[in-house]
Amino acid sequence: MSIMEYNGGSVIAMVGKDCVAIASDLRLGNQALGISSNFQKVFPVTDRIYVGLAGLGTDVITLRERFRYRVNMYTIKEEREIEPETFAHLVSSTLYEHRFGPYFIEPVVAGLSKTPSGGLKPFIAATDLIGCINFAKDFVVSGTASSKLFGLAEGLWEPDLEPEDLFETISQTLLNAVDRDAYSGWGAVVHVLTKDKIISRTLKGRMD
Amino acid sequence: MLMPDIAMAPHTLPTQHQFNPYTENGGTILAIAGADFSVIAGDTRQSEGYNIQTRYAPKVFRLTDRAVLAVNGFAADGNMFVKKVKQRLEWYRHAHGKDMPLRAIARLIQTMLYARRFFPYYVYNILGGIEEDGTGAVYSFDPVGSYEREACRAAGAAQSLVQPFLDNQIYFKNQTAPPDSAHPTHLPLPTVLSIVIDSFTSATERHIEVGDGLEMYIVLARGRNLAGLEGITGMQELTTTQDGERVFVVRRELKKD
Amino acid sequence: MFLTRSEYDRGVNTFSPEGRLFQVEYAIEAIKLGSTTVGIRTSEGVVIAVEKRVQSPLLESSSIEKIMEIDTHLGCAMSGLTADARTMIDHARVTAQNHAFTYDERIKVESATQAVCDLALRFGESVHDEEAMMSRPFGVALLIAGVDELGPQLFHTDPSGTFMKYDAKAIGSGSEAAQSELQDKWHKQMTLREAQILTMRVLKQVMEEKLDHHNVQLAQVTPTKGFEILNEVQLKEIIDAM
Repeated sequence: MSIMEYNGGSVIAMVGKDCVAIASDLRLGNQALGISSNFQKVFPVTDRIYVGLAGLGTDVITLRERFRYRVNMYTIKEEREIEPETFAHLVSSTLYEHRFGPYFIEPVVAGLSKTPSGGLKPFIAATDLIGCINFAKDFVVSGTASSKLFGLAEGLWEPDLEPEDLFETISQTLLNAVDRDAYSGWGAVVHVLTKDKIISRTLKGRMD
Repeated sequence: MLMPDIAMAPHTLPTQHQFNPYTENGGTILAIAGADFSVIAGDTRQSEGYNIQTRYAPKVFRLTDRAVLAVNGFAADGNMFVKKVKQRLEWYRHAHGKDMPLRAIARLIQTMLYARRFFPYYVYNILGGIEEDGTGAVYSFDPVGSYEREACRAAGAAQSLVQPFLDNQIYFKNQTAPPDSAHPTHLPLPTVLSIVIDSFTSATERHIEVGDGLEMYIVLARGRNLAGLEGITGMQELTTTQDGERVFVVRRELKKD
Repeated sequence: MFLTRSEYDRGVNTFSPEGRLFQVEYAIEAIKLGSTTVGIRTSEGVVIAVEKRVQSPLLESSSIEKIMEIDTHLGCAMSGLTADARTMIDHARVTAQNHAFTYDERIKVESATQAVCDLALRFGESVHDEEAMMSRPFGVALLIAGVDELGPQLFHTDPSGTFMKYDAKAIGSGSEAAQSELQDKWHKQMTLREAQILTMRVLKQVMEEKLDHHNVQLAQVTPTKGFEILNEVQLKEIIDAM
């Protein structure tokens, strides 16, 4: 039995044209037994950053609180909002602190970072459970359906997708991947971050 | 109190060597059935662990003018299995004076696999071709002979990457058809070929055991024209008889890293 | 003992100097003592019919079984030593079922016939020191009727293991007269109904007893309904129409 597959669940993030998207399923299970179909794994960090936590359910909640605490401390001390790149490193160092007794979570970060010219640049990253960061330019995946997500994303994703097209792409990728994964599914949630709004939608999916 | 001598003596167990008769040689295979054609494909990389044994080891074989078999898993078992199937097809030709129909080959493969229920051929088989009624067909098998006719199937190292992609693109899973219309049950040949190529380039990108070369076999029903194959370069015909089903092979390069 | 056949009569696997296997030839003779059996092929199906010799008024005529099913699409009528036919039909049935099991398709009529004929020359065969399984040739001839992808077909097999395809064939005691009658009356456009009536007419001509629905048996193989032995009501209707 793998701890990473104890509760199940999957997360994915994708880059679009001046936008990013992050999505997850809503299942919480106890191995093969489904427990909840409304277990959130993606959380807002700031107005422009979301984090997705796929892995052991208890650590999802613990890490969410730890990140909230650390981001609040950062905001107070620095007197400014944290940038996505910085948050990715915060995630990384938090996880590496537990190098030899890790949290069983592989986080995904999606956000829009400020450029020197004042614009916004899409940013995504993912780490393994001890904090090794992967700064991908296209998409990152995590969770029990990760291999399926890779296969679909590699086939469906293309550069410079507009927000609505990015929404469709990430939704199709997630839904079709979790349908082939026994540990993920039971509904999904998608967030698309653009410069002037955040689109959050709950998706209906197969409930088996 | 007396202790038995045996408990005092340092107990060393004799070294045991275990022979493992199976190896996993990587690679991926895939087949899609159309209304009057069938495409059966596989990559050509053969690996053992992190070593690449060869960049060209075919996994897809023409059995007859209307049947093509793809085998994936343990290459030695796969090659031997194909040999035995071919031998049985030859015997059938002699006994019954005709080529074995596709569904008969499918059943034969089941009996041959199940005959080895307790020392199986470590292979996943996908059989593609044309049925007696002229429709395209795909049969997929597990190593001990469970089988099913389907419209498409992926197997092997990158099955988990490719199969959900096929669910979406072939079965239109999680897609709703526009009002007053339905999703097609069979896709045209050019669409199928591009889905096959996309599947393998994607699998090559994300899976280390997939790559080097791609072989696509195309089986056309009796009397079907070559529509949909116009743009395909370097296509080679393998048909042996006149005015029956036709078999073609197309080879493409895949990334070698 | 006959003059010229003195030595070579006995050994079932010894050729005579003239190149003949007497035991096989005698076996073929044995069939000519059997009850008359007729088969007709049409484009709509094949009809096979046999005469049942009811030797005693105390004999239950329904217990005489000279037409048997091999598979749903294959039937068989026999003449000669009918007990020998059991071995052959058993073999044909097993072969047909094995074929369906292995190939998920119905065996061809010719392949089933070939399988039966493979048995015919197994007499006198022995492995090492073991006793031979069969000591003499089969004393029975078969008419194998069936439908496959090549359409309705009729085959005749004899104890020599030879088989041939026929449009119409008669075997048994009245076969000579029956065969010439078939040759006269058979035509390509014949319907199944016409074939049913013709088999009855032919049997009637060669039978010693008066033909009725108790002393004949008729079966047919059609593409739609496969093999079926006609019941007495159906049989009576054909006899009345004759």
